[in-house]
Amino acid sequence: MKKPTRSGNTRISRRSLVKGSASLAALTALGGFPQVLRAQGAAVKVGVLHPVTGAIAFAGTQARIGAEMAIEEINKAGGIKSLGGAMIEPVFGDTQGKPEIAATEVDRMANEGIVALIGSFASSNTLATTQAAAKHGIPCIVDVAVSDKIVGRGLDNVFRFSPGFGKCSEDALNNLVKINTAAGGIAKTVTIIHEDSLFGSGLAGLLNKRLPDFGFEVIETIAHATPTRDFGNVVTKLRAAKPDLIVPANYYNEYVLLARTMLQQRVEAKAVYSVLGGAASNYRFVKEHPKAAQYIMDCNHWADPRKDGTKALRAKVEATGKFFTYEIPMNYDCLHLCADALERAASADRAAVKSALAATNWKGMIMPYQAVEFDETGQNIHALPVNTQIIGDDIEIIFPEDLATAEAVYPMPARG
Amino acid sequence: MRTLAIIVLFGLVMAVLPVFGPTDFTLSFLTLMLLFAYLGQGWNILGGYGGQFSFGNTVFFGAGLYATVIVQVQFGLGPWLGLAAAILAGALVGLFIGWVSFRYGLRGSYFALVTLAFAEVFRIVANSVAITGAGAGLQVPLDPAPANLQFVGRESFYWIILALTVASLLLVWQMERSRFGAYLIAIRDDEDAARALGVDIFRTKLKAIVLVGALTGLGGAFYAQMFLYVDPHIAFGVAVSVEVLLVSIVGGMGTIFGPLLGAAALHLISEVARETMGNTPGLNLALYGALLVVMVTFLPKGLFGLATVSAGRLFKFRRS
Repeated sequence: MKKPTRSGNTRISRRSLVKGSASLAALTALGGFPQVLRAQGAAVKVGVLHPVTGAIAFAGTQARIGAEMAIEEINKAGGIKSLGGAMIEPVFGDTQGKPEIAATEVDRMANEGIVALIGSFASSNTLATTQAAAKHGIPCIVDVAVSDKIVGRGLDNVFRFSPGFGKCSEDALNNLVKINTAAGGIAKTVTIIHEDSLFGSGLAGLLNKRLPDFGFEVIETIAHATPTRDFGNVVTKLRAAKPDLIVPANYYNEYVLLARTMLQQRVEAKAVYSVLGGAASNYRFVKEHPKAAQYIMDCNHWADPRKDGTKALRAKVEATGKFFTYEIPMNYDCLHLCADALERAASADRAAVKSALAATNWKGMIMPYQAVEFDETGQNIHALPVNTQIIGDDIEIIFPEDLATAEAVYPMPARG
Repeated sequence: MRTLAIIVLFGLVMAVLPVFGPTDFTLSFLTLMLLFAYLGQGWNILGGYGGQFSFGNTVFFGAGLYATVIVQVQFGLGPWLGLAAAILAGALVGLFIGWVSFRYGLRGSYFALVTLAFAEVFRIVANSVAITGAGAGLQVPLDPAPANLQFVGRESFYWIILALTVASLLLVWQMERSRFGAYLIAIRDDEDAARALGVDIFRTKLKAIVLVGALTGLGGAFYAQMFLYVDPHIAFGVAVSVEVLLVSIVGGMGTIFGPLLGAAALHLISEVARETMGNTPGLNLALYGALLVVMVTFLPKGLFGLATVSAGRLFKFRRS
């Protein structure tokens, strides 16, 4: 066989192209780095760090939207008044879902002069960012990350706005028992279907341990990897086991696929009850798969729908064609919380903002918390999840009663 | 000797860099770059010099990472023992995988797939057993002190990984000149011919994979001390396997400086892409991917090949 040949000219030209690309990259680098050091007037720089690319990019992008909308609102309202109307200037970062990248991003943001850091959604990333930020004395407002290891490490720069995993799962169990008891204790058997990483495995372990204490029998626990693209066998098992309660603990794609397969195979149960469910509190799921989503219950982060701020934010988000997911209001609140601390600190000094955050007693949030107050570990003592249920084309709060926008539909009617 | 001089010069220049007061970001950037240059060198020994392409080098990295953390968290022992455990764990995993694979003559794509499968098996096991903290992972308590191998400043980690990288360069330089290195290259070039010449194929490959396991395990220990946290995804996910492979291929497989050049180029491109288009998520990665395609297509011998050709031409030009 004749070997393809290249003319000398072509070869040189290709190599020149590569050399040219490399030179261009180097030149761009030289031109790019000084941007880091550019001064920005009287604005206060706040780091907004989320996984906007990579496997969990959807959640990270949503989180960034919430932060952007809050910053726009704060600046429109005159900025930080105690700092002479200083505007908040976001410094965006991308963790790519990797702890080592997340930590490097914090160092970059520190060089850019951020006063506080908001983020960074995933627990493993947040563990790295808070540690890296501690070195620079940067206060971190943790938006969503649930690992209980994030607080209580002796880092005085960590302030978690949201509830941790322990609180979420404990409330989920208590609320489930209350809902079931109110309906006459109709559910007795449970099947757990969980993804096999930190979130799903942790939750499955906890439920297996605690559910029997409340009179439930866990008849099967099924683990699956992420991604999983076929739930046919899992759902066949479910049909055979006929549990009263199905507890899924998976990320968005798997959750949707599982729910669709359950509908297709006409699996009937008293309830589908999730904890921090991947899709159960997500309008995208409701809109794209209304029948499969119907009556699914979840215990999750959720904004208080009775508040005007929530209504306005939801309308604003939906007007841009995006889905209103919980990452948006949580980051929206975190930015407002940061602005409150800056206002009280009356200083763009990191230590002053940290002290102001530690002394926070803020009630301006749209999340359904009584207030934001941090204990000595940096955990917001009022943070709590709520129980939601997809009813019709909306996501309603069904528990606790004082926040409820609808009665729980339990047991759920046949959906076939 | 010229290579040795370059390695020593590189080490000295890089070692004095922190004296000039670089920013923490620059140091973090260089630390990560050197970490992947070091890990890439591990892949390079087996893949570049030995021709045994592994798609699962993260298995050694993860073994070292977990060993360091488990020794400290579950057994309450110090990080120094953790380091020893990491090297041992990496070497043992290497020995096990090497024994199983090479004993049955697996090579080429079969060996690559087996290493990939082992990484996945380790991930699932780490996800399921209590000693690894299962899916929740393990966290080393934060207690910055040199005795605990935890440092507040970025310089210490930078110097440590620089020392490891220089040591790995010296190791490969020495290996190239040794009988073991010659055997390894002979196996890569033609395994049957090497066997015919009396090279003990199984033994040489096993030695190489144990060496790679120990080196990469130590890299895992470094990561553990820097970030103080491990979970199955960090330890045994595909990201590390892919990156160590990329830095070697882009830089130049089977060359001393290949992984270092590759890591420098890839990290620089990634940073430039992020700096120039960081506010449009994903676009930087698309540019990164496109440049990677260009490099792999037009530089089959990697950046080291390009540098050698350019230097050769320059030399010729001067002589003429």
